[in-house]
Amino acid sequence: MKTPFRLDEHPRRPQPLAPPPAGYFDQLPMRVMQRVQGDIAEERPAFAFGWLARLAAPVRTALATTVVLGGFAGAFLLSQPTLRPATGTDFTLAAVPQSEMVQYLLASEQRVSLSDLAELPDAGQALPDSDLYASPDELQEALDAQPTEEFYL
Amino acid sequence: MEDQDILLKFADPVSRNVAFNQLVRKYQQKVYWHVRKMVIDHDDADDLTQDVFVKVWKHLGNFRQDASLYTWIYRIATNECLSFLQSKRRKFFLPLHDVAAELAAKVEADPALAGDDIERRLQQAILRLPDKQRLVFNLRYYDEMPYEQMAEVTGTSVGALKASYHHAAKKIEQYLNNDAPAN
Repeated sequence: MKTPFRLDEHPRRPQPLAPPPAGYFDQLPMRVMQRVQGDIAEERPAFAFGWLARLAAPVRTALATTVVLGGFAGAFLLSQPTLRPATGTDFTLAAVPQSEMVQYLLASEQRVSLSDLAELPDAGQALPDSDLYASPDELQEALDAQPTEEFYL
Repeated sequence: MEDQDILLKFADPVSRNVAFNQLVRKYQQKVYWHVRKMVIDHDDADDLTQDVFVKVWKHLGNFRQDASLYTWIYRIATNECLSFLQSKRRKFFLPLHDVAAELAAKVEADPALAGDDIERRLQQAILRLPDKQRLVFNLRYYDEMPYEQMAEVTGTSVGALKASYHHAAKKIEQYLNNDAPAN
């Protein structure tokens, strides 16, 4: 005969499932404390930026945009080639002997026109003193040596 | 150590760790078994029990003592269990029955139930209940918690809890009487 099951007549087992591994409850407090201490340690670095969390969302967005754009601008400026001062170029050119310069110009395919020479003072480049203080005889001699065509070299 | 002493010591940063350690030692078995009966698997119960105490640590400073500490911890544990089971269903896209089947398989494999057919069937019957009703049944049947305290834990009225427990007990008896082998 089938005996009907009644819950209130069934012997109650407060812990019906298999118990946890031996020593589990001895170790659990220590493991919980480790996790709690770990959470505290993780929260500490975040505290350094806690002021960010207190800012309103639009302010945080604006701040982030500024930082990103600033980064781009900084990278752009730093990537530009450094301009050499004009005096350095002049100094280098002044150091080249005149004879070598003439040889270079003779060998070069480039032709210097009178208009090039006319524009030379406008370039704002300082000329060597030796060119500025040529004697009248030297100037006359140089002019006599030039051909009458437009291009003299 | 009394709950009030634990709370006083926890409020002091110097003795906070000691007080919390005492709290864990006092409630760990109750929390573990409450969770274990809901999720069945020991590893899941272990993770959830730790999560419960981590939450207790985080929020104990804001505990207003409207309810007893015991009830408050049970409430956290209950919410953790229900969230875990809910997320498990969402994660694996499983309907209610499949999670119940997974838990039932774990009960079948539990060595403590081997050789005790009635107890094993009782556990299977309990697993067929919806999560919240199973929770009510466990609190009343296994933990023998008063309905007033259960109301604080679950946020449900005493009347609704009594009705829920009554229906749960009937379902379990019905399941066992329909499926139980003849003695």
